[in-house]
Amino acid sequence: MNWQVNYAIENISQGLRNVTVEHVRDDAIRIVMPSKPDVIAVISAAYKIGIIEVVRYHEDFPNMDFLCGYRKLCIWEGEAIKYVEDKKIGWGSSGTLISAILKDEVNTAAHKDFYFAYRLIEQNRFITELDREFDRVFRVTLTNGNTLRVGMIMEYEPTADAIRTFWETFGPVDIAWNINPNGNPTQNAIEAGKDLGCMVVKWDELKELLRNRF
Amino acid sequence: MHGGEMGRIKGVTTKQVLTACEVADYLLKSCDSLCEFESFMFGSSLLGIGCDFDILIVGPAGEPLSRLKAELRQAGDELPLDVLYMLPDEVKETKFVTSRICIPLTQLAASED
Repeated sequence: MNWQVNYAIENISQGLRNVTVEHVRDDAIRIVMPSKPDVIAVISAAYKIGIIEVVRYHEDFPNMDFLCGYRKLCIWEGEAIKYVEDKKIGWGSSGTLISAILKDEVNTAAHKDFYFAYRLIEQNRFITELDREFDRVFRVTLTNGNTLRVGMIMEYEPTADAIRTFWETFGPVDIAWNINPNGNPTQNAIEAGKDLGCMVVKWDELKELLRNRF
Repeated sequence: MHGGEMGRIKGVTTKQVLTACEVADYLLKSCDSLCEFESFMFGSSLLGIGCDFDILIVGPAGEPLSRLKAELRQAGDELPLDVLYMLPDEVKETKFVTSRICIPLTQLAASED
């Protein structure tokens, strides 16, 4: 059995009561719960999940309810996200899967690290166009026509390394938005952003930037 | 398993899931550059739960850090690692080591013996 399937099975069994977790084949597991339909989850060890990977998984497991990128580092491309959401397949981390099972919303769940932050953007009235390039990177067009590329930084307290690594991985952004409400970017992180040419901000600052059309 | 109320597992070999101490020991043995940095584990994996192992690395940026990142990437190819890199100044500013109860990898590895 693949390593990530082992960890996922162990983790789900610890995190949920009264469930049985079975290995189906390859990267797929079945989660059996009393009085509820079984859940088929595919547990991927990929570092990046794009449209090719998603379509392949879907062809292998047409009854897949949830696709899990098990690595914390796993990056989802926007096209892959659109595909799974269109097909009513939940997507995200192992933590997302467990939360989704508890809430009975496996097929509509989205990566919980980014879900609430992205919803704030979707609901913002100063944005006319929104393009999700990756799970944590999107481009917005504001009502005055200005565009911004924004990166969502999920770390509790973003560090200088987190900002630089993000930039190296995803390319230049105008804004590095620290979406974790419980922490603040370090001074070194803010300085690293300045050196690179982006602002490192929390939601209140981003909201003001959007209101003022940047 | 972990008691009657927890979920049941069919067909999983639990030996393939490492403990926090085993992971610490494995990383120290696999990543030579770790000796140039302070390294810790924190978070729920210390309690034997959680989706991944949270690792904190403290030290300067630059070439040794790049080397360590490559070593950790290779060592973590079949492990759910979540690695946070901090400068010494950042640790001081955030008091991360004390506030998040970070345990040195060397201490964890020693308790594995």
